[in-house]
Amino acid sequence: MRMLLSGNEATAHAARLARIEVFPVYPITPQAPMINSIVGFIDRGELKCAHKRMESDHSALAGAAGASLVGARAFTASNSQGLALMHELLFYTAGLRLPVVMAIINRALSAPHCRFPDHSDAIAQEATGWLQLYCENNQEVLDTVLQAFRIAEDERVLLPVMVNFEGYILGHTKEVVEVPEQEAVDAFLPAYSRAVVDVEHPAAINTATNGEIYMEYKYLQHRAMQGSLTVVKEVNAEFAERFGRDWGGAVELYRGEDARALLVAMGSAVSTARIAVDEMRAAGQPVGLLKVRSFRPFPADEIRSVAAGVRALAVIDRDIIYGVGGALHREVQWALAGDAVHKPVLSYIAGMGGRDISVADVKAIGQDVLAATEKGSVPMGAHWVGLKADLVGEAK
Amino acid sequence: MGEREELYRLPREELLSGGHQGISGYGGTIAVRQALKALGPNTVIVVPASAVATVGGLNTSTAWRIPFVHSLFECAPAMATGIRAALEIKGKTGVTLVSFAGDAGSADIGFQSLSGAAERDEDIIHVCYDDEAYLNTGGQAGGTTPAGAQTVNTPQGKPTGKKDLLSIIEAHGAGYVASASIAFPLDFIAKLRKAKERKGFRYLHILTPNPATWGFAADQTIHIARLAVDCGLWPLFEVEDGGRRVTYAPVRRVPVADYIRAQGRFRHLTGDQIAAMQAQVDASAGGGR
Ligand SMILES: Cc1ncc(C[n+]2csc(CCOP(=O)(O)OP(=O)(O)O)c2C)c(N)n1
Repeated sequence: MRMLLSGNEATAHAARLARIEVFPVYPITPQAPMINSIVGFIDRGELKCAHKRMESDHSALAGAAGASLVGARAFTASNSQGLALMHELLFYTAGLRLPVVMAIINRALSAPHCRFPDHSDAIAQEATGWLQLYCENNQEVLDTVLQAFRIAEDERVLLPVMVNFEGYILGHTKEVVEVPEQEAVDAFLPAYSRAVVDVEHPAAINTATNGEIYMEYKYLQHRAMQGSLTVVKEVNAEFAERFGRDWGGAVELYRGEDARALLVAMGSAVSTARIAVDEMRAAGQPVGLLKVRSFRPFPADEIRSVAAGVRALAVIDRDIIYGVGGALHREVQWALAGDAVHKPVLSYIAGMGGRDISVADVKAIGQDVLAATEKGSVPMGAHWVGLKADLVGEAK
Repeated sequence: MGEREELYRLPREELLSGGHQGISGYGGTIAVRQALKALGPNTVIVVPASAVATVGGLNTSTAWRIPFVHSLFECAPAMATGIRAALEIKGKTGVTLVSFAGDAGSADIGFQSLSGAAERDEDIIHVCYDDEAYLNTGGQAGGTTPAGAQTVNTPQGKPTGKKDLLSIIEAHGAGYVASASIAFPLDFIAKLRKAKERKGFRYLHILTPNPATWGFAADQTIHIARLAVDCGLWPLFEVEDGGRRVTYAPVRRVPVADYIRAQGRFRHLTGDQIAAMQAQVDASAGGGR
């Protein structure tokens, strides 16, 4: 059925269709409408699920971890301050190999206080052991939440997954979304019931460890994260076959034919960049777009092979790692580090705290990167798109 | 039935088996042992970071014979909330679910999740085992450390008093709230059995003296625990649906000084200070607090 849905509502529909069983959650702007939608489904008997009104974001994830230990399908949603407060629980959930799925309606972090979107909240959790998928529109949000459960619960993975989409830009904006039928989703996503906590089979969960086994444990966790890349792709392919929508797996190359340079982006900037690339192509400028859908696991090999034919890349980051630059830029550079031919990788910080990333912005970046294919060298550091020079005391 | 006979009738089975690493005379594991006699094998226990969480085993070995979940420090009741929700949705009934936390894991860093679970009337039993310090990190003072007690980070004695967590949880409207002592195992076990039969949020707070941090010999734990009750500082009572009942009244209260003088952590207290404590206990005499 086609419906007009915000990203929050699309997520709620996905949660309903996934038949989530326990939903411990704590409100945070701009995620709260999703809670209301899911509670509405439960209230009207359209979803059999325990909504737990927790007393903090930290407790929300603790509750989800507890539910997952008993073999229930657990879901929660958060962002920014809430996600930061969950930090230690993120490691814990991943370390216990619990397939919890969490929607992150990306929002900038304080200070200064800001309720508008960027990716810095999730990027800051990159080392916690969660898979991180990023969406470009509300249809992808719905589809990716469904895929996330399949990926997380796969015996080869058993890791928690964050599904990211920017607050307001996607979270509050209505788009036409195809909402699949329950039977189709049931066939794609079977019920889950992997109980670790069970009085019939007592086990000790998270006993104290030391150097004797901790390292091997972590190795296995790392290996599972690396291996999850295959599962991300497989699940996307199966989804595409069943539902007719292909989101590219871990990465998607758009208009890569004869491209001399590539733009690289995640999240809603990808949909903006599609327009920019179309316009540039129409003007005869050979620029392609690389959409990174999976930030964790990071598809380094695919990026290297996709980039093999181009002379330069430009990475658009909606995040900042202070003193380093954009996280996606750092990863792309790392992915290309082993290449025999050195390629310039330009870096752009854009759209922080909800500032718009326009088609014109992306086209300007496209011009830069095409120019770099001629020069072969790039300016050091990141370029901050649309920075107000007078506000930072750099006005000429 | 006499006390001796009652003790004799307790299940023999040890659900926290021998081989755990609790040091001798440690009140925490004594409380666990007693609690499991009442709770039985159909129990899931969630223990946050604490001494009890770490003494149960190392690497792939464990002394726990029931499902044991070592939660993060501040969220045992929150994890238990999720566990209960999942048990219910999966149709698994008849499981007793306990979050068993130290005093920091209950009264300080753990207070937020404890308060949340109490307010939501979650179907869990929370046991706070109170050794009046942060044992796992070396015995620092916390919210339930009593006034005057010397600890590693209150070398002059703690200047402020003991947080009254029992009253705080009672004020949440919990259906069942009770104090307990490891020196009175039958009282503790009877309370837990009663709690087990009920639904909703239930709270028990048991005093668990610890030799090293309190400053007494390892074979004196039970004696010290008994003195705390007998001098009136740690009254044994229960509050069931708002109805308060003293469950043990000492025939003749012993002087507070007997309890204080038996512990190194109070060695610096003057006679006047102890007299003031005695006066406080006398003022609240008659049980309860
Ligand atoms: C978030 C966090 N902060 C600090 C610690 C360190 N820590 C572990 S146990 C503990 C004290 C526990 O005290 P209590 O709850 O009274 O239990 P006890 O060890 O005394 O039995 C502390 C401070 C931790 N594990 N996690």
